[in-house]
Amino acid sequence: MSYVVQSNSLSKRYGDVLAVDDLTFAIEAGTITGFLGPNGAGKSTTLRMLLGLAKPTSGHATVFGSPYDQLQTPALRIGAVLEATDFHPGRSGRDHLRMLGRAVGLSDARADEVLSLVELQDAAKRRVKGYSLGMRQRLGLATALLGDPELLVLDEPANGLDPEGVRWLRDFLRDFASGGRTVLISSHVLAEVAQTVDRVLIINHGRLVAESTLDELTARVGSVVRVQSPELDRLAEALQREGIVATKSNDHALLAQGTTRERVGDIAHAAGVAIHELATEGSSLEEVFLDLTSEEAPR
Amino acid sequence: MNQLRAELLKIRSTRTTIGLLVGLIALALLFTILTCTLTPMSQLFSEQDQVSLLSFGSIAGVFAALAGVMLFTSEYRFGTIRPTSLFNPNRGRLFATKITAGVLSGLVFGVIGEGLVFSIGIMILKIRGVSIVMSGANMTELIVGAIVGTALWGAIGVAVGAIVPNQVGAVISLLAWGFVVENLVFGFLPKIGRFLPVHASDSMMGHIEDKLLPGNGGTAVVVAWVLILAIAGVALLKKRDVS
Repeated sequence: MSYVVQSNSLSKRYGDVLAVDDLTFAIEAGTITGFLGPNGAGKSTTLRMLLGLAKPTSGHATVFGSPYDQLQTPALRIGAVLEATDFHPGRSGRDHLRMLGRAVGLSDARADEVLSLVELQDAAKRRVKGYSLGMRQRLGLATALLGDPELLVLDEPANGLDPEGVRWLRDFLRDFASGGRTVLISSHVLAEVAQTVDRVLIINHGRLVAESTLDELTARVGSVVRVQSPELDRLAEALQREGIVATKSNDHALLAQGTTRERVGDIAHAAGVAIHELATEGSSLEEVFLDLTSEEAPR
Repeated sequence: MNQLRAELLKIRSTRTTIGLLVGLIALALLFTILTCTLTPMSQLFSEQDQVSLLSFGSIAGVFAALAGVMLFTSEYRFGTIRPTSLFNPNRGRLFATKITAGVLSGLVFGVIGEGLVFSIGIMILKIRGVSIVMSGANMTELIVGAIVGTALWGAIGVAVGAIVPNQVGAVISLLAWGFVVENLVFGFLPKIGRFLPVHASDSMMGHIEDKLLPGNGGTAVVVAWVLILAIAGVALLKKRDVS
């Protein structure tokens, strides 16, 4: 298995506050991973430790097998946006990119390329103080893309974006990852990333509380798969043989407990049973997320 | 070299440095024209009088130090320290790059400041019929001392900015030190005060004053201050998290 990012027992303490607590996870190449948790959960601190901006109190993190600050010109492999406001307001967007590009030996033409990529070419020579929040988010993304990276790390990139901006970002990330590249995107709102990510890491109070695909996550906390079929009894038997409890609902559907749509579909197919409807019910993803990250959630 | 090019572009791409340069030019012109025009003839004939009058270009050191401070504090103030650190994660190298850029911009401030004061001052004195009694060696010491001293103040500014990342705090500290603390110490305890950076850099220009260090000694003391502050700055930069 090829891991792009690895966090091993990563902890960070600020005085009495344990911001990140023994966090261990790994991210595979070619995936889009959502790094989720409520505000103050430790997401940004973790990302800063991954990127060499903050020193862990204990544990260690590697990117492409090495600590970030020991990589040779890491900006050519890893692009990151940590804040939407990391610009000098009196500098033009183009100069911001030219100056960072020069630091790693990139030509000024590359700055123009990424400006076009994020559709900011018309505002390239304007000072950043005249940019809207959405434009600043895109300039941040352009900064991350300067080195044509294999890994993108984005901290709350959808903050403050209008729906059109969120959609633009989603399409962009899908396009980026379709070439086999990797994305780690943090958010405190699951819905923002649910349509984009392959899997999620959820942290709360600095600790990892879930690491899975979205479907697994839904199933794990007691979701129900609703299935309609002309042969409900045969399907119920098939599910029972696989250890899945299924009950009939009032409207002649079968409700399968603690499983996923994929699994029910596979079992139905193997049993030769036609199905007319297959949907996840019960806890919504947002409810699951809130449940896992609530104050009452087990630590 | 790439990183130095990036730092120099950083300096040129905002109006801050231009503003400081304009301020320096305005102040240098105003002071030189007023003092060279209004100073009584009786106070213009000695070598010491002329050196004192034409050394005002050293005020460029204040502007160079402020420009140097901005190299770090602007990064913290506007959050650009994050992308800067991501593109240059080696903090020691980042500091070395910035201090080099601080010295280079200080040289520019020094050349402009002392160049203006010296050339316009000499011109006015000649128009007033004052005989220039400074020797060639004195003139060289004055000009080179002012320019090199200003460049070193650029480096001091960068180091202070690394030590005190808060822009307002760093600027106030620097100005309070230069205009208040050092003058008080030098006034009451000149044997100690002459080893402080402002008075040590004054002595680099060949001021004929007993209380100051000799020129070479002053240069060595200012370089020592740069090294001390740079060591402290780089140590704090390496220790401090980028939040």
